[in-house]
Amino acid sequence: MSEQQDYRIIGKAIPLKDAVDKVTGRLKFSGDIRVPDMVHGKILHSPHPHARITGIDIRRAESLPGVLGIVTHQDAPAWEWENCWHNYGGRILDDRVRFVGDEVAAVAAESVEIAEAALELIDVEYEILEPTFDPIESLAPDAPQVRAEGNARPPTEVIWGDLDSGVEMADVIVDASMAFDSQAYAPIGRNACTAQWEGDRVTVWTCTQTPSEMRDAIARGLGVPISNVRVISQPCGSSFGLWWIGSLQLITVLLARKVGRAVKIGLSQEECFATVKRRHLERSTGRLGVKRDGSVTFIDLEHVHDNGAYGLKPDVGFLTVDLWGAGPHGRFIDRGVSTNLVTAGCMRGVGDVTMGAFVERLLDMAAVEIDMDPLEFRLKNHIRAGDPLRAMEGETLDQMDLASLPDGWPELGKLDGEALSDCLIRGAEAFGWNEKWTGWGKPSAIDGPKRRAVGVATGVHSCGTEDEYPVSALVRVHADGSATLHVSIGRQGQGSETTQAQIAAEALGIPIDRLIVQAGDTDAAPPSHGAIASNTSYRTGFATWDAALDAKRQILETAALQMGSHAPDDLDMRDGVVFSPSDPAVSLTLEEIMSTYRPDSMTPPMILGRTSTPMPPSMMYARYFAAHFVEVEVDIDTGEIRLLDYVATQDSGTVLNAKVLENQVIGGAILGAGFALTEHLAFEPDTGRILNPGFLDYKVMRAPDFPLDPGVLFGDSHDPVGAFGAKSGGEAPTTAPIPAISQAVYNAIGVWLDIPMTPERVLEALGKI
Amino acid sequence: MTIEVNLRVNGVDHAVEIQPHESLGRVLNGRLGLNGVRISCKEGECGACTVLVDGEAVTSCIMLAVQAGDRDIQTIEGLGTPDDLHPIQQAFVDEHGFQCGFCTPGFVMSSKALLEATPHPDASEIAEGLSGHICRCGTYPNIIRAVQRAAEELGQEATNE
Repeated sequence: MSEQQDYRIIGKAIPLKDAVDKVTGRLKFSGDIRVPDMVHGKILHSPHPHARITGIDIRRAESLPGVLGIVTHQDAPAWEWENCWHNYGGRILDDRVRFVGDEVAAVAAESVEIAEAALELIDVEYEILEPTFDPIESLAPDAPQVRAEGNARPPTEVIWGDLDSGVEMADVIVDASMAFDSQAYAPIGRNACTAQWEGDRVTVWTCTQTPSEMRDAIARGLGVPISNVRVISQPCGSSFGLWWIGSLQLITVLLARKVGRAVKIGLSQEECFATVKRRHLERSTGRLGVKRDGSVTFIDLEHVHDNGAYGLKPDVGFLTVDLWGAGPHGRFIDRGVSTNLVTAGCMRGVGDVTMGAFVERLLDMAAVEIDMDPLEFRLKNHIRAGDPLRAMEGETLDQMDLASLPDGWPELGKLDGEALSDCLIRGAEAFGWNEKWTGWGKPSAIDGPKRRAVGVATGVHSCGTEDEYPVSALVRVHADGSATLHVSIGRQGQGSETTQAQIAAEALGIPIDRLIVQAGDTDAAPPSHGAIASNTSYRTGFATWDAALDAKRQILETAALQMGSHAPDDLDMRDGVVFSPSDPAVSLTLEEIMSTYRPDSMTPPMILGRTSTPMPPSMMYARYFAAHFVEVEVDIDTGEIRLLDYVATQDSGTVLNAKVLENQVIGGAILGAGFALTEHLAFEPDTGRILNPGFLDYKVMRAPDFPLDPGVLFGDSHDPVGAFGAKSGGEAPTTAPIPAISQAVYNAIGVWLDIPMTPERVLEALGKI
Repeated sequence: MTIEVNLRVNGVDHAVEIQPHESLGRVLNGRLGLNGVRISCKEGECGACTVLVDGEAVTSCIMLAVQAGDRDIQTIEGLGTPDDLHPIQQAFVDEHGFQCGFCTPGFVMSSKALLEATPHPDASEIAEGLSGHICRCGTYPNIIRAVQRAAEELGQEATNE
C-alpha cells in the first residue's frame, strides 16, 4: 500500500523543466546545432538488398568543387561494434551491403546540396548476392546467410513444469498462430549528428538515449581513450528506442576526422524511417490448456522475430511469461533470425507488445471455449505477489552474488507486489465493464453495418534491466545553494528530466526550481545505463535518489561542523533550510552553509553527492503492469475500426508526477493502438525496400483517431526499492492495446486478426474481398 | 537565379534574396534563424512547420517563400516570450500538452488560428481542427485540454476587455 508521506515535490504534477523552451520554440534539437567552421555530410545508401562492393571509385565525387572528403569501407576500422543486448552490430562501413538503404559511403562538403550532388558521382560496383526476407524461410540452413554468424540465433527457452502433465490436466486446449507486421518508430523529429575534432579529442552533439554507451563505442571504434570523447545528447523528438548508437554517429565522427573540419550529418525523413531501425517482424504459434474452472494448466509458445540486417537479438524479451507464469507448466521459445531488411531493434514495449498480445489471444480463445468473462479469467490467472518470475528461472546470474546483497531487499525471484488486480477491478468500474460486457462474440450494439463491442487486456514490462553499465548519478551543490543533477539518460522528451529532478530535489530537501538536470553530457555525467528498457524512473531514479541523499549527508555534516552544537543526525533539511527536529532555534539556509568556510579546513564546503549503493538486480523481481479497456465500433462494409472509449490503468508504484505518467500511459496506448489498427511498414517483395518511409503513406494516429477523453487510473502500490516507491512507466502501456482491441474486434465481428487489423484484413476475414 | 522578396515576419520586414523553389519554412528556419519553425516531413503531413499567413495556418514546408511575399507571417517566435507567454502557450505548459516538444510550435499556431475562427470549440472540433498535426508522443488528450483551457482564458480576457 502507498505510504502517506508529506512530500514537497514527489507526486506533484509540476510542468516539465523545459516546458517554456518547448512552447516558445526555443528548445534546440540535434538538427538545430551549428558549430563554427562546420561543413555538411550526406550518406550514400545501397540500392541493393544484398551485395558485395567489388569496387568503389570516389575520384569524380572528390573533384567536385566544394567537396572536402569522402569515407568508404576502406576508411573504416575492421572493428565491429555492438549495442547492448545485441540490438545491433556491425562495421561502421562494410564492403558488403545487407539491405536497401545500408550505408556505403559518406561525403563532406561545403553545403548539403554539394554533398548530395557528390553522392551521384560515387561509382560503386556491386556483386549482387541472393537476398532473404521472410523470417521463417530465413531460418532454413540453405537460405542466403546475411551475417558471418549465420541467420539463426540460438533459441532462448523458458521452460517450467512438464508440458505433458499440463496437457493431461486440461479440459480444453486451444491453439493459434498470429503474425505481426513491422511497426516504424516514425519519429517526428529527425536526428542529426555534429562531430568536431580538436587534436585527438572529439565532441559529438546528437540525440541518443545512451550517451555513455555511445561515448565508449566511439572511443573503441576510433582508437582513442574514453577520456577523449565527449557526447552531448540533444533532444530530437520522440525516440521509443530508435536513437541509441547508430551508423549516423560513427560515420560522422569518422568523416569529421578525415576532413579535419566539424561535420554535421542530418537525416531526412526517409532516412529516419528506412535506414535506421524498426520493430521486428514477428510470428507466434502456440497452444494453451485450461480447466473448466478457468485455471490455466499450461502455455506452450514458439515465437520467431526477424532481426533485419544488423540486429542480433536472441530474444525480444520474456516478461509476458511472468504475467501468465502462475500456471504449473509452460514453455516459451523465441528465436531471432537475420534478414535483408532494415535492422530491427528494441522498440518501446519490445516483445511484450507482440508475445504479450499472442498469449492474451490464447487466453481469450480458451475463455471463449469455457465461456468465462475475460476480466474474470484474467483476475483468476495473472501473477500474484510471491509467485515465481518464470523469465528468470534457469538464468545464470554469474556476476551476482545474491548472498552479498544488503539486508531488506525483497526476496529475489518472486514478484514483490500486487497491484494488477486493483488495476483490473478499478479500471472495470471506471469503464463500466459489467454493464458493457455482453458475452463472447456478441456485439453490444448493431447499427446498420456497425458493430460495437468491448475488450480488456493486460500487459507487463521490466522495471529496467542490468547490462554492462551501472546506474549512477552525481549531485553537485553550488555556492548559492542551487544544485545540478548529472545523469546519462539523454533527452527524448518523456519527462524524465523532470521526474529525476523531482526525485533529487525531494531527497536533497531543496525547492525544485533550485535544481537543474544535465541529462547527457558525458564529460560531466558518470557512466550509466541509458534511458532504455524502462530503466529511467526505476533504476536511474534509484541512483539519483542515492546521490542526492549522499549530498544531503555531506551538507548536514558540514552544517554540524559549522554550528558546533548539533550532531548531523540531529539535523535535517527541507526547502533548502537546515533545521533540527529537536531544536526550533536552528535554521540555516543552504546558501549560508555553502558560503561559510569549514572550520576544519578554512575552505568553502565542497558538496558532491554520488551514487554509492549498488542497486539490486531489478530484473529478478521488479515488474510493472497495465490493464486497458476499450470499446470499438467495426464497420463490416468498410472494414474500419473506430475506438469509442478507452480506460488505461497502470501500476507504476508511487506516481512521481501524475501528468508525466498520464502522458506516458496514454501516449503508450496510442502507439500500441496505432500498431493494432494502421501502422505497418510495407516492404517491396523483391528488394525489401520500404515503400512507405514517411507520414504521407505510413499512417499514425492523429487527435480524432483516439477517444478524446480517455480514462487513466494508477494502481495503489509502493515499490520497496524504487525511489520513493516508484516503478517504471513508459513501455507497459504499449503492450495492452493490441490484445484489448483485438478481443473487442472478435466480440464485434467474430474473427481473430493479424496485426495491424487494417480494413483490408477485416474485410478479408469476413470473406468480403 | 534569385528573387528578392519581402517577408513580413512577426511584424518585422525582411528583404531576402531567395531561389524561386525555396519553401517558406526553409527560409524562415534556415535564413531567418527561426528555431521554432520545425521542418520535418517536407510533405505537409506532420504539421510541425505550421505558421500563420494572414492569420491562416499553413504548412510552411510546402508553401513557396515567394507566395508569402508582403503577407503577414506569424511564427511561434511572435507569440509570447518566456516571461510573458501567450495564454495558449501557458495552457499547453499547465496541461502538459506535449512531451518531446518537437510538434508543439505547430500545434500552438494552429490552435491560435482555430480559436480565432471558433472561440469556443468542443473537444471534437479541436481534434478535427488539429488533425493536420502529428504528435508522435501521443499527447492528444492533454493537447485538447490545453486548447479548451486556453479558450476559457481567452474568453475571459475578451469579457474583461
